[in-house]
Amino acid sequence: MRYAVLIKQVPDTRTVRMDEKTGTVVRDGSQAVINPLDLYALKAALSLKTEDAAANVTVISMGPAAAEKALREALALGADDALLICDRVAAGSDTMATSKILAAALRKFGPFDAIFTGERATDGDTGQVGPEIASALGVGLATYVGSVKTGQGGLEAERKTENDVEQWLVHLPAVISVTKAIGEVGLPTLAGKKAARRRPIPTVTVAELGLAAEEVGLNGSPTRVVKIFHPSIGRKGRRITVVDETTLQQATDAIAAMVKGGAQ
Amino acid sequence: MDTYSPVTAEIAALLEEICGANHVIFRDEERLEPYSHDEIPGKHYRHMPEIVVRPSTTEEVSRIVALANERHIPVTPRGAGSGLSGGAVPVFGGIVVATDRMNKILELDKENMMIVVQPGVVANDINEFLKPHGLFYAGYPMSMETCYIGGNVAENAGGGKAVKYGVTGRYVLGLEVVMPSGQILEVGGKLLKDVTGYNLLPLLTGSEGTLGIFTKIILKVIPRPKYQFDLLALFKDSRTAINAVPATLTGSGITPTSIEYMDADSFKAACRYLNETLPYDECGAMLLVSVDGNDPEQMMDDIELLGDFLEKQGAFNVYVADTQANSERIWKIRRSVAEAFSLYFPRQSGEDVVVPPAAIADVVEEFQTLAEKYGVAIPCYGHAGDGNLHSRVSAPDSWSDEQWEQTLPKLLEELYGVVARRGGRISGEHGIGCKRLKYMPCVVSEAFIDVLRAIKAALDPNNIMNPGKIFAMTAK
Repeated sequence: MRYAVLIKQVPDTRTVRMDEKTGTVVRDGSQAVINPLDLYALKAALSLKTEDAAANVTVISMGPAAAEKALREALALGADDALLICDRVAAGSDTMATSKILAAALRKFGPFDAIFTGERATDGDTGQVGPEIASALGVGLATYVGSVKTGQGGLEAERKTENDVEQWLVHLPAVISVTKAIGEVGLPTLAGKKAARRRPIPTVTVAELGLAAEEVGLNGSPTRVVKIFHPSIGRKGRRITVVDETTLQQATDAIAAMVKGGAQ
Repeated sequence: MDTYSPVTAEIAALLEEICGANHVIFRDEERLEPYSHDEIPGKHYRHMPEIVVRPSTTEEVSRIVALANERHIPVTPRGAGSGLSGGAVPVFGGIVVATDRMNKILELDKENMMIVVQPGVVANDINEFLKPHGLFYAGYPMSMETCYIGGNVAENAGGGKAVKYGVTGRYVLGLEVVMPSGQILEVGGKLLKDVTGYNLLPLLTGSEGTLGIFTKIILKVIPRPKYQFDLLALFKDSRTAINAVPATLTGSGITPTSIEYMDADSFKAACRYLNETLPYDECGAMLLVSVDGNDPEQMMDDIELLGDFLEKQGAFNVYVADTQANSERIWKIRRSVAEAFSLYFPRQSGEDVVVPPAAIADVVEEFQTLAEKYGVAIPCYGHAGDGNLHSRVSAPDSWSDEQWEQTLPKLLEELYGVVARRGGRISGEHGIGCKRLKYMPCVVSEAFIDVLRAIKAALDPNNIMNPGKIFAMTAK
């Protein structure tokens, strides 16, 4: 079996600061980490590998050259291979353009039996890339998977929804996006770290994946961010202290006026 | 035994006049109770204060102490109350001077690389404040999210980074102290060298509030290392793990920031408490080794070297944390040991012995022999790299309180005897307080205690400043 795990490097939420004026993330000084939710995807693939020693786990990321660090961390945790899609023209890609690029990479370096993703990334927070890849590749999709194991004719997945726990038999190939219920990934071992540190990480460009520059990046992205702002959370309540008949009357009047006028 | 005057309504009124009525707690059991103990588990070392005052200026502290001295009322200074030796417990009642309102960072002097703070500043807040300036205060007690710097200085707190950075005292350059007479004294200053007269700074640092109350503290700060990487090394048994500690210090060629040791009972309690899923069933002891610096490549070289070294010393598995998330995950295990123990063993005594670093393996072994002899557990963990070991003497559930109370003193005397024979002392960083007072003769001579008594009598002739701590004023 060949498993792919898609990981994204994101700013560490412990150290991240927001620019109050622009509403964007200040990347300076904040450390970059593997999207914590993607670690569950890695954990899912690695635990399937413990059932089947012949299985191969490839981690793939799209990002700047520095994203290599995230891939090395995944290798140290037990992944077999890594691939970095690194290309300036991909900058500014929305979820659709991103999934187009990732799907092209999965096709070129595949075939993969299962592709694991986290539920969403902690920076963009869309949760769209996994499903869009399934659509681009024309393969099955299971989302919100909390546990996964090898089954007859596919993978047995438990899918948690708001009302139920669903037992699925996922026919392969498929994209599987997992939740925290998968469990924590281990810690990288010294041997893993040492090997990962010295491994060359293959890098591909968008052109090498057979895509034109116009298909990706800002040009290839139908999404336009018009405005970013902080939602204002203001408690608009009013405190009325009742101490005697007069203030009681004032309070009831105020409540009656509010009810009549509709809550503000 | 000293006899002190009670805190009368008249005294309370005078204290209210000094601090403001809002900042005095008197004849209110419920609000006085939190000031009757520190973080020693159990109720044995508790004592209610008669009154609590919360001054906000040096002058207020001075007036309070002068009044107490004149009326012969004991004064117990208090920081966050996170101590582990009963240092802040008012064993003779009297006045507790809480420093929580004196919580300002007064000055960051970048040109001199120093910071001036009041005693009630939370130790962690100093580093949060310094972070944007690229600076760092290297005193690092494990309870740094709660403890106050004043308490740290009073106890000369150590902590996990002492292997590389030393303890609190190394960073204390100056103190403003209210002496037992109420007099305000300046000691040291913004100086890196100073031999003008007796060196009182190291005497006051670690004096456990028995010589005065700190009202201003000048600390040295250093450039902040950008990164910290950690190794978690798993060993089959405690002997192999503890032997690796002095070996690492002398043989690896690298000075780690910390080397922490946890035996099986310790890390299992912490991992259970944290729901940690690392595979630790095969493991008999763990070492946590950290390095810090600014060049991640160089540091990773050091980590590899240290990791290889630990494997040669018998570690069967070594984990590496070079991200903040993983580092926190590893350190959380170590930091949760005490809390987990308090949960799982209701009857226990937390010890803080310190021995020459090379003796630590033998001491751990002898502790286990003692544990078997008395039928108790003595799990050990702590800052093994600096010879400081936290062992928790823990009674089985089947024991009665009476059996525990009777056995513990005998056991402790023997345990401290082991420490003394190895050239060690009964507290490395928690202090003697009231908890270990009667055990002082196990490790130091009567002549040594006499010198302490003479100093105390000279500076506090009425014995009002935190009496009943460290040593008894009269020999048995």
